[in-house]
Amino acid sequence: MNLPTFILKNALRNRRRALLTVLSVGISCALLVTLLTLQRELTVPPESAGASLRIIARNKVSLAQPLPAKQLAVIERIPGIVAVSPFTFFGGNFRDETVTSFAQFAVDPRRFQGLLVEARVIEGSYEDFAKDRLACLVGADTFERYGLKIGDRMKFTGTFYPVDLDLKIAAVFNGTVDDRGLFFHHKLLDELSGDPGTVGTWYIRAASPEVANDVIARVNAAFENTAAEVRAETERAFQLGFVSMLGNVKMLVLLISGAVVFTLSLVTISTMSMAIRERFRELAVLKALGFQRRELFAFILAESFGLAALGALLGVGGAWALWTHLDLQKLTNGFLIYFEVTPRIMAWGAAVAAIMGVVAALPPSWQTARMSVTEGLKTLD
Amino acid sequence: MAADPIVSIRDLSKVYRQGEIQVTALNNVSIDIQTGEFVVLMGPSGSGKSTLLHIIAGIDRASSGSVLVQGINVANLTESQLADWRNQNVGFVFQSFNLIPVLTAAENVELPLLLTALGRAERRRQVALALDLVGLADRGHHRPDQMSGGQQQRVAIARALVTDPTLIVADEPTGNLDAKSATDVLSILQALSRDSRKTVIMVTHDPKAAGYGTRSLHLEKGEIVA
Repeated sequence: MNLPTFILKNALRNRRRALLTVLSVGISCALLVTLLTLQRELTVPPESAGASLRIIARNKVSLAQPLPAKQLAVIERIPGIVAVSPFTFFGGNFRDETVTSFAQFAVDPRRFQGLLVEARVIEGSYEDFAKDRLACLVGADTFERYGLKIGDRMKFTGTFYPVDLDLKIAAVFNGTVDDRGLFFHHKLLDELSGDPGTVGTWYIRAASPEVANDVIARVNAAFENTAAEVRAETERAFQLGFVSMLGNVKMLVLLISGAVVFTLSLVTISTMSMAIRERFRELAVLKALGFQRRELFAFILAESFGLAALGALLGVGGAWALWTHLDLQKLTNGFLIYFEVTPRIMAWGAAVAAIMGVVAALPPSWQTARMSVTEGLKTLD
Repeated sequence: MAADPIVSIRDLSKVYRQGEIQVTALNNVSIDIQTGEFVVLMGPSGSGKSTLLHIIAGIDRASSGSVLVQGINVANLTESQLADWRNQNVGFVFQSFNLIPVLTAAENVELPLLLTALGRAERRRQVALALDLVGLADRGHHRPDQMSGGQQQRVAIARALVTDPTLIVADEPTGNLDAKSATDVLSILQALSRDSRKTVIMVTHDPKAAGYGTRSLHLEKGEIVA
C-alpha cells in the first residue's frame, strides 16, 4: 500500500456517496458550461472571414427608418469601397407560419455577389438567381429544413411590408456563418411596394480591414446634415447592437451561473464535511500513529479534489460531447446556431470545480487540525 | 546500580475545565518505569489512569510537572516533533481496536511505516513479521469486518509493534473482548515485555488482566494510592 492507495480507498469507502458527489459536481459543471456557452452564443455573434470587411449603413435615427435609394450613387464613389448593395429586411412569414423563422433580405443580386465572399452556391446557379427578378437565393439550412427543391415556390406573408412575396428558388448557398437566410431582388420589393425609392440599409464591402474604419467615417460624413443621415458600422458592431436589444442577458446568465457555483460549493463542502466527520476517530488514530496536520490535510484535499475533478471531467466532458454532437440549430428552430463549447469555457468549468474541491477541503481540514487526539478518540467512543 | 528509567514522571498534574468547573485529573503524580516493565494502571472511572497514559504517550499535554521518556521531556516538544516522536517510539493499542475499516489487516499494520523512509519491500517484510508475531500471518488480506474482535485487537498490536517502538501503551485492550481473546491479547503483551524487553503500560479495570503485568499502580482521584 502507498499513500495514494490509502486516499483512493478512503474516497471510495462509501461508494454511493462518492458517486452522488461526483454526479452532483458533474451536473452542476455541465449546467455551468451550458450557461456560459449560452451566454457566449447570445452575446458574441458568429464571425466569418469577411465580417471585418463588411459594413452596414443604416438610418442614424433608427433601424426602422429607411434610407433614400439615391444614396447609392454617393456611396459607390467613396474610396475604399469595392461593393455595395441595398440590404432590406423583409421579415415575412413563410407559408402558414405565424413567426418569421428565418430572415429574408431584398438585395441587388449583381452588387450583392461581391459581398458574400465566403458563400458557395451548392445547387442551381447564381446567374439564374441574378437574371430572374422573381428568383431567390436560399440558405442550405432553410432549404434542407423545409425539404425544398430548385424551382419550388416560396410564399411569404409580409409583416413589415404590406405586400406578399411569391419567389422561385434559383440557387442554394452555404459556407456562411448563418446558412438560413434568403435573398431576393430589391427590384421586386420596390415594384410591389409602389417604388418608394428607399432601402432598409446599405451593405458595403471595404477593400481591406485596414481601410474599414476610414470607409465608415467617410460614409457617415457623406450624409451629414442631410435629411437622411446614416450610421455606418461594422457587421459585428451591427449584430452586437441587436444583442443589446435582448437586455442584460449577460448579467442574468452570470447571476444564474453564480447560483450554480454557490450550490455546487455547498454540496461539496457538505459532503466532504460529512465524510470527514464520520472519520474523526480514524483521523485521531492516524494522528496518534504519527501523521501530522499537513499529511491529514493532504489526504482530505486529495480526496475532495479527486471527487471534484472526476465530477468536472464528467460534467465538462459530458456537456462538450452533448452540445457538440447535438444538432441544436435544428432542435431550436435556428435560435441557436453554433453553441460552441470552447476550450476557454471548458477551462472555466474545470477551474470552478477544482476551486470547489479545494474550498470543500478547508472546513474539515480546519476541524481536523484543531482536534486533539484524545478529543477525537472520545468523540466517537 | 539501577538503570535509568525509560519513563520518569515528576509532579505531574493535569487540570481541565468542564464548563464552569475545574477538574483535577492528575495531582502531583511521580513515577519511574524501567525498560521491559509491564505496568498496569488501575483505578475507578475518572481516577486519571487514561489521562496519565495519554500524557506518557504524547497525545495529551500535562498542566504542570515533567514527563521524561528515554530522557526526552515530552512536554517540550512541538506538535510536529511530538507526532514524529510518537511514530518512532510509541505503539498504541486501543479498547475498540481502531483499525481503518477500508484497509486489510496488512495495510492497517503498514500504516505507521508509511511515515518512515522504508521501501515497499522492507515495509512488507516488517508487516509480515509483526503479523506473524501476533499469530495472524495468514490473515493479512482480511479486512477488519472479516475478523473477530480478538483478531482485530491482535492486528492492532501488530500495528503498534511494527515500528519497533520502545513503549507500548494499551488503553483497556481487553475491554471489548471475550475471555479467550482477552487471554490471547494479554499473553502477547506479556511476551513482548518479557521476551522482547518492550515497555508496556496498560490501563485496565480488570484485576485478572492486571495479573499479567509486572507492576500495578492504583490511581484514585488523580493520585497514585498504591
